[in-house]
Amino acid sequence: MEYHHRLTILDHYIRQLPPFPATVNKVMEICRDVNTSPTDLTKVISLDPVLTGKVMQLVNSAYFGLSREIISPVRAVVMLGMNTVKNLVLGATVMSAFGTSKNFRALNMDMFWKHSLGVGVIAKLIAQKRNIDQKLLEGYFIAGLLHDIGKIPLNSKFSDEYRNILGIPEKKPQPLFISEKQLLGIDHAYVGNLIAKKWKLGEEISDTITYHHAPETYQGVQNDILFTVILSDHFANNSEIGYSGNRYFENIYPEVMRYLGDDTEFSFDNISAFNGEVEQEIENAQIFLKIAG
Amino acid sequence: MKLRFWGVRGSIACPGPKTVEFGGNTPCLELRFGEKNRLIIIDAGTGIHPLGHRLVWNDIQDGPITTEIFITHTHWDHIIGFPFFRPIYIPGTKLKVYGPITFEDDSLEKIMGDLLRYRYFPVLHGELTANIEYLQLGECKMDLGDGITLKTKYLNHPLLCLGYRFEFNGKVLCTAYDTEPFRNVFSTDTNAADFDPVVRHEGEEAAREENEKLLDFYRDADILIHDCQYTKEEYFSSKIGWGHSFFEHAIDSALKANVKKIVLFHHDPLRTDQELFELEKHCQKHLGNPSDLEILVAKEGMEIVL
Repeated sequence: MEYHHRLTILDHYIRQLPPFPATVNKVMEICRDVNTSPTDLTKVISLDPVLTGKVMQLVNSAYFGLSREIISPVRAVVMLGMNTVKNLVLGATVMSAFGTSKNFRALNMDMFWKHSLGVGVIAKLIAQKRNIDQKLLEGYFIAGLLHDIGKIPLNSKFSDEYRNILGIPEKKPQPLFISEKQLLGIDHAYVGNLIAKKWKLGEEISDTITYHHAPETYQGVQNDILFTVILSDHFANNSEIGYSGNRYFENIYPEVMRYLGDDTEFSFDNISAFNGEVEQEIENAQIFLKIAG
Repeated sequence: MKLRFWGVRGSIACPGPKTVEFGGNTPCLELRFGEKNRLIIIDAGTGIHPLGHRLVWNDIQDGPITTEIFITHTHWDHIIGFPFFRPIYIPGTKLKVYGPITFEDDSLEKIMGDLLRYRYFPVLHGELTANIEYLQLGECKMDLGDGITLKTKYLNHPLLCLGYRFEFNGKVLCTAYDTEPFRNVFSTDTNAADFDPVVRHEGEEAAREENEKLLDFYRDADILIHDCQYTKEEYFSSKIGWGHSFFEHAIDSALKANVKKIVLFHHDPLRTDQELFELEKHCQKHLGNPSDLEILVAKEGMEIVL
């Protein structure tokens, strides 16, 4: 298949993607706030009809086995309680970015999702430790969560080629994005950029997706979030948190460590210290793999 | 069907001179069914420790212990006795542990297994010689064999918590702990910034319906064992939303659901014997005379035959 033909297929696929929930930042903020009121919670759900549908689908899934259908978020809060509904909303929001298992033909969806979530959680924890403004923290999470989003269309549309790409390191140790370029002429950062445009994601998320394997070429101003996600990605790979197809990681760009280190003397050692926190956050969110797929 | 209460206390075990009469162990209930004397245990609070010893002394002569433990929810007071349940160390023991799924999605096996880690306990879960199977439940109906059927129902507690309804030989036993009345959690203050009359109405409707569903769950039970951690005053002054009921609520629910016998259970750890005797009198007075409903205050060691 020719490069241009592939681009056309991808373009078509991305044009048909559902919109990314505009309220995602607000949802994250509300669900993670221990003082959120029931009204805030149900309001944020109701503002977004797609989210409402997804949450109600989860509430009424076989997982809870409820004997009678729950028909509104208000009822779900009264019956299942704030804690349960908050977690469902958070999960529904996260999963809405990834679609369903039918998009995952070569990569394992659970492992991919775990890797993405892991990078998001770590990026946010690093930002927290670096005393980044509270209001910006969810942006770090989302940038980490979405950094590999470009792999989904490649998986879905060119699954045979992608299986071959995943097998390359057995013969030749090299990072995944290089194999993608060699076999498809396109890598996931490029595809991710197309999605970021379609979803009108902010510059910080869009640049992170586009440059997370090419920080040395980056000319923009979003170094802070980009470098944080690159470090988080390395950490998730080294700690084997999930798996997104990358078996041989390029060396970390020295400027990343210099930049983050300059700020707080950050190092791999002190990231390892919050490994437990990362695992806990991931465990909290894992329910959705079971019920949202 | 026979019942024996091995632990009736909520929150934390509280042995001492002021809890001698009603007991200080946390929840554990032994159920025996029919001629086979089939054993089912509800919850693994500290009360499961003496139960385990009894089983090892008595039951093991008839062959290895086979039993099922139904965990209502995994708060400490309902599981903390598990590592001290002697049969789990005896080869040949067959144990099925059931419990509710939770939103955190740590599996029941992980939650229970984590009690047996070196940081908490000198034996690892993996070292146990009993054959243990873990099963997670939502709301469901199950045929447990030997003519026993089980229905489960979510109660109202900060963590998803299941009530269990066992039916055997025309007799019904129902558990309702830990729980409090469902209520509208949305703003009712018309001046509040987040007040919305539609939401308030729906919240009230939802709470009413959920409370109705609970009554349906208890309906015509021969015995209802109900959370009664607080007095009415305690509940309304500072304990709303903590997931526990008060005496009057439990009794009124039993009356509405045509329950024959209610056992008031899950006593507050600070409640003294003297206070419980007085509360028992207060409950009888609240019920008035005459009534078909029999009220019992749960005591450690208490046995009931249905």
